[in-house]
Amino acid sequence: MVDLKHQLELYRRLLGAQLRSQMQYRVGFILDLISTMLFTLTEFGAFVLVFQRFPSIGGWKLEEVAFLYGMVEFSFGVMDMIFAGFDPPAFAQHVRKGTLDQFLLRPSSLLVQVFGSDFTLRRIGRIVLAIGILVYAITANDIVWNLEKILFFPFVVLGMILFFGGLFMVGATITFWTVESTEAMNIFTYGGSYLMSYPMNIYSDWLRKFFTFVVPAIFLNYYPALFFLEKPDPFLMPYFVHFLAPVVGFLIFFLSVQFWKFGLTHYQSTGN
Amino acid sequence: MTYRAATIAGLTTNVFFGLLRASVLLALLNGQSSNGWNSSDAVTYVVLTQAIMMFVSIFGWTDLMNAVYRGEIATDLLRPMSLFGFWFAQDVGRAMAALLLRGVTILVISSLIFQIKIPSSFTQILALLLSMMLALTISFAIRFIYNLAAFWSPDARGFARFASVIGTFASGFLMPLRFFPDWVQQVLNFTPFPHVMNTIIEIYVGSFSGSGLLEALLVQTLWAVLLVILANAILARASKRLVILGG
Amino acid sequence: MIQVENLAKHFTVRNPQKGSFGLLKNFVSRDSKILKAVDDVTFKISRGEIVGYLGPNGAGKSTTIKMLTGLLVPTSGHLEVNGFVPWKSRQTYVSRIGAVFGQRSTLWWDLPVIESLELLQFIYKIPSATFKHNLEHFTKILGLDEFLNSPARSLSLGQRMRADLCAALLHNPDLLFLDEPTIGLDVVAKERIREFILHINATRETTVVLTTHDLADVQKLCKRAMIIDHGKLLFDGALETLQTRFGGMRQLVVDFAESYAALEVEGAKLVSRDGNRAVYAFSREHLSASELIRRLSERFGIQDISVLEPDIEATIRLIYERNLLGVA
Repeated sequence: MVDLKHQLELYRRLLGAQLRSQMQYRVGFILDLISTMLFTLTEFGAFVLVFQRFPSIGGWKLEEVAFLYGMVEFSFGVMDMIFAGFDPPAFAQHVRKGTLDQFLLRPSSLLVQVFGSDFTLRRIGRIVLAIGILVYAITANDIVWNLEKILFFPFVVLGMILFFGGLFMVGATITFWTVESTEAMNIFTYGGSYLMSYPMNIYSDWLRKFFTFVVPAIFLNYYPALFFLEKPDPFLMPYFVHFLAPVVGFLIFFLSVQFWKFGLTHYQSTGN
Repeated sequence: MTYRAATIAGLTTNVFFGLLRASVLLALLNGQSSNGWNSSDAVTYVVLTQAIMMFVSIFGWTDLMNAVYRGEIATDLLRPMSLFGFWFAQDVGRAMAALLLRGVTILVISSLIFQIKIPSSFTQILALLLSMMLALTISFAIRFIYNLAAFWSPDARGFARFASVIGTFASGFLMPLRFFPDWVQQVLNFTPFPHVMNTIIEIYVGSFSGSGLLEALLVQTLWAVLLVILANAILARASKRLVILGG
Repeated sequence: MIQVENLAKHFTVRNPQKGSFGLLKNFVSRDSKILKAVDDVTFKISRGEIVGYLGPNGAGKSTTIKMLTGLLVPTSGHLEVNGFVPWKSRQTYVSRIGAVFGQRSTLWWDLPVIESLELLQFIYKIPSATFKHNLEHFTKILGLDEFLNSPARSLSLGQRMRADLCAALLHNPDLLFLDEPTIGLDVVAKERIREFILHINATRETTVVLTTHDLADVQKLCKRAMIIDHGKLLFDGALETLQTRFGGMRQLVVDFAESYAALEVEGAKLVSRDGNRAVYAFSREHLSASELIRRLSERFGIQDISVLEPDIEATIRLIYERNLLGVA
């Protein structure tokens, strides 16, 4: 218990160190902040501009897609900030440069140290814009906020943060074996966030089934959105799947931590 | 072995993103046509952008600024050669490798999954190759220019990120420019970005014919010439600055 | 302090399959070989010793150090440090040791050095009084005050090494691992680091295990040396023994103007001859280079001459290749 408190305090101090470090590059930071904002703006902006020519996408109106997009963008942005230490290319650098060994030589939890090794504050730009899109979506859709929806909302966000965070950890863990092929993880992280930004009925059957039964991404954003927007379920799944997001997120995260532990054992028996 | 695994990982990722992007466009079109493009054009657009995105370095390039920050550029400037030509030659090599190794493979794999168009006439293929070379020149000149920012600012990486985000939007990589509202297309036509990707695609799907094709290539050539001149002018200033600062 | 018995670390190295289905074959293939990075190594190190752990690149040095510091799990053998099995109780174990890897720093790159040290104080749970006392002490003898408030990225290599040494010792470890602590430093900086290591060892009885390529480090710091190559411990004993038996010999390479029958000269040993070229070995204590050259030029016509200083790498190679120690 005392140690948990110590680790939490360590995390706080490591974050402080990160922020103080980043604040030394003020111009670069502001440029990055604008870039991350611009990234979301151009991506969603391009979609909005194109949408002017079309009535709907898979039966969804613009403000409905905006809800899907805003939810993913917000959750991914927050995750990307917190889990930056596990971002596979960045983590591969830790392995290659021996920073990971430095972490292991310190009498502290490795996870806390990796979490505390980076915190990408510049993602705030993306997060702020995502909030803007979400606010637009929520007002434009006239969502009726009952108690159920208010209580469920943060759990959906948490579920997605855990889901994407877990994927980052899996990607980081793969670098214990090879630092070359981390690009494949992009399918799940960036591909996953792209996929989840649109209604699932626009994808071909096998693709949707893959993201239902193999990687259960469909439950994280699509089904909660159906619930919030009170849209009918075209796939006629049991009603409770609307509420699986936090469970799936937690499960993926739990499995990722197990994989991480396994990877670490491998690392300690082979080095790099 | 690891290199090949990385190649396969890269290809899979590329084709997968193509699949997602195509799904979105197909769902928007919903079997109809829009502004002259039908489903088959849209799918061809996606496959082609996925195949040439490495060729034109759509996500940016920072090798030159890294060399500037490492201080290696001073020695390069002492050599009796054009720094622009030196880096351009390297980039052409990189681009050709990306095109032949990755681009062609992506085209072949994607054609197994999607029904994509194939350019029919000899003129069209010739124009396509010419347009691709011009697009590479324009893309390189733009990248060269923002890399030169490293001579003035320690934050050139920020500019690079900035430029690549704008580039993905304005070149027609995120969404086909043709589907944008007319006024957006008109604004973008005043910039060189559409010639980095969009022109290639329009030629490939056969949007131009006769004088239209000639005009497209002519405008692209003008941009290429203009940007190469601009890049060299800025380079001259940068070198002077380096001499004054003493490396 | 350190007990190592029959320690071994084997790595499996896969042979990549060639041909068009190479990648696929790699997944199913069992075609691999065992690399014995550390092979049946036994030694003991007592409290307060400074031991030089030497060997050429890829000899098994860093694999051993990684096992001693708990970063790697041994394949077989017994390893106990301070009563701990390093990899089994990592967090408790590493709080009692210090380590400096010359190539990389433990400091936060963009933070003032002092802030890094304060973070380490928290991580190692160092009591304020101890921290204050140690910091003052190290600041004085290492001259840290000139850069304590500068970010680590702006330090010179020598300054960085001094700061890293301080960082590794703040928590009063019983055992200090130094991997190439003087690499890339100039003579003055090297000397300063060596003085400091000696001082710590003398005043705190800190045990030091040191790997280095610099023979001067070993000569200055260590009474005892261990030599490893191809994963096997070739020599473990007093440095003097090593030097009198194999090292400390300089070599003179001479190209003669013509072919002479007898080339022996007093005070130096003729090591080899090949055509008109001969190599002599001689020790600094008994003969100077100029004296040897004088003796040679009195008797022979000489075309070219060069002196090779004794170098630990070469000595170790020599030991291994000629099997001078009688170990297979």
